[in-house]
Amino acid sequence: MSNTSANILDIKNIEVMYDNVILALHDVSLKVPKGKVVALLGANGAGKSTTLKAVSTMLASERGKVTKGSIDYDGTSIDKQNPSQMVGLGMVQVLEGRRCFGHLTVEENIISGAYSRKLSKGDINQELEKIYTYFIRLKERRKSQAAFTSGGEQQMIAVARAMMAKPKMLLLDEPTMGLAPQLVAEIFNIVKELNQKEGVSILLAEQNTNVALKNSDYGYIIETGRVMLDGTAKSLLSNDQVKELYLGISKKGRKNFRDVLKEESLTKKKIN
Amino acid sequence: MVDELLFFMEVLVGGLLAGTMYSLVALGFVLIFKASATFNFSQGAMVFFSVLAFCGFMQDFNIPFVLAFILAAFLMVVVGLCTERFVLRPLMNASEDTVLMATIGLGYVLEGLAQAAWGVEVRRLDLGIGDFPVPWIADNLKLFISALDITAGLVAAVMIIGLFLLFKYTKIGLGLRAVADDAGAASSIGIPLKHIMLLVWSAAGVVALVAGCMWGARAGVQFALVDLALKALPVLIIGGFSSIPGAIIGGLIIGAVEKVLEVYIGPFFGGAIEGWAPYVLAIFFLLYRPEGLFGEKIIRRV
Repeated sequence: MSNTSANILDIKNIEVMYDNVILALHDVSLKVPKGKVVALLGANGAGKSTTLKAVSTMLASERGKVTKGSIDYDGTSIDKQNPSQMVGLGMVQVLEGRRCFGHLTVEENIISGAYSRKLSKGDINQELEKIYTYFIRLKERRKSQAAFTSGGEQQMIAVARAMMAKPKMLLLDEPTMGLAPQLVAEIFNIVKELNQKEGVSILLAEQNTNVALKNSDYGYIIETGRVMLDGTAKSLLSNDQVKELYLGISKKGRKNFRDVLKEESLTKKKIN
Repeated sequence: MVDELLFFMEVLVGGLLAGTMYSLVALGFVLIFKASATFNFSQGAMVFFSVLAFCGFMQDFNIPFVLAFILAAFLMVVVGLCTERFVLRPLMNASEDTVLMATIGLGYVLEGLAQAAWGVEVRRLDLGIGDFPVPWIADNLKLFISALDITAGLVAAVMIIGLFLLFKYTKIGLGLRAVADDAGAASSIGIPLKHIMLLVWSAAGVVALVAGCMWGARAGVQFALVDLALKALPVLIIGGFSSIPGAIIGGLIIGAVEKVLEVYIGPFFGGAIEGWAPYVLAIFFLLYRPEGLFGEKIIRRV
C-alpha cells in the first residue's frame, strides 16, 4: 500500500480532542484502499466512532476537533469541509444506533438519502428500485412508519438511505449492534454485496471482531485512542493475541494489548 | 328554547372562527418548533413587526395594498435570512435552551426595530372586510357571525392546505420532516440544515404577517399584538407543539371554549374569564395528555 492514489482514505497520525480538553484519539493512522472493506475494531470507548466522525467531519457538531495529523479523502484534505459537502464528495456515514427518521415511512427515509443529488422523480424511482434489489425486506415494508420496524430493518433503512446518496465510500458505525446473529449475517451479506457490485469502499467500526474480520480485507485494532495492531483480516484472525483478547479464546486473563506489552517488557527485563 | 339554542350556536361558531385567528398565530410557532425543537418566543414580535411594516408601507409610502403585502412578505424572508445567518448559525451546536433564550432576545430586537422604523402609535388596518355580522347569514340562519371571522377561517384553511402540501410532497418538505425527526442523521446524509432553517423561518415570518393582518384588522396594529401571540401557548399545549393540524384544532378548541365559558360561566366569576380560561384548560392537558392532541408521540418499540 505504498501507492497513495490507491487509497481512497488516508488518515495520518490524527489526534482528536473534545471540548478542547478531552483527548479522545492519541495517534490513529489508517488507510482504506479503493474498493476494499476495512474493519476498525476495538472495545467501547476505544475511539472507533470518533475516528469515523473525524472522517465525515461530523465531529464539529459534537464540539470535537482534529488537533494533529491529516485526513485525505480521494487525494484531497478534508480540512475545510462540512458534512453535507462530504456527502457531495461521495462519503456518507451511517451513524451508530441507526438513527432512522421515525415518523417518516421506510420509503421516505430511503428517498431522503438522495437529498443532496439533483434527481427527477423518475430517476429517484429508478434508484429506489435498484436499492430494493439489495434490501428486499424493505420493499415489503415500504409504507410502514420507520419507528415501527425491527432493529434489523432499521439498520437496513440506514444503509439504504446512505446508498441513495450514491457514495464512493461508506462509513458504517457498529452496523450490527444489538442484532441477532442471523441478522448480523444478513447485514454483512448486504454490505459485501454493495462493496462488490457497487464498488463502494467501506470503513466499518465493529465490536463484533470475528464477523467483522471474516467480511473485511484489512483490519485495525484500536485501544484508548491508539492503533495497537493492524494487518490483513486473515492474519488478524489467526493472530494469537487477537484470538485471546478479541475472540474470547483466552489463556491467562489478559484483558488488552497494554497488558500484553507490559508482560513482554517484564520478560525482556528478566532475560536481560 | 329555540332562541337559546340559536344563541349557543352563535357563541360557539363565533368562538370557533375567532379560534382560527389563534390557529394562525400558532402555525408560526409549530413551523419553527418542528425544525429547531425550540419555542420561538419572538413569534409575537414577528407578528407585530410584519404587520406594522405592512401598514407602514401602505400608509407612509402610499404603496398599494397587494404590493405592500408582497413587500412585507419579502421583508419577513429577509428577517428569516438574517436570523439564520446571525442568530442560528453561530448557535448551531448550542443546546436548545440557548436557542430559546436567543429567540427572546430576537423578539426584543424586532419590537425595537419595528417601533424605531414606524413609530409607536396604534395604526388602523383596513382590509376592506368589516368586523360585523354578515347580513346574508344573519337573515337566513339567524346567526350573527363576523365577516372577518369567516375570512380568518378561510385563510387558515388555505394556509394549512398549502403547508400540508409543501411538507408532504416537496423535497424541501421531506428534508424538513427529516430534520424534525433527527437533525444529526439528516446532516449525515447531506441535508443542509441551514437551508431548512431558512425555509422555516421565512415561512414562519409570512405566516406571522397573515396572522398579524387578521389581528390588526380586529384590534388595531399595536404593541399588544406581541402579548396576544402568547395565547398561542395554550393552543400549542392542547394541539401539540409539532403538529400543524394540532395548531388548527387547538385554536378552534381554545376559541370555542373561551367564548362558551365566558358567556355561560363567566358571570359567576364576575366576567373576563376569557383571559385565563385557556390556560386552565392547558394545565389539564399538561397533566393528562402532555404531548397534546396531535403532538408526535415519542414512538418507543417494546
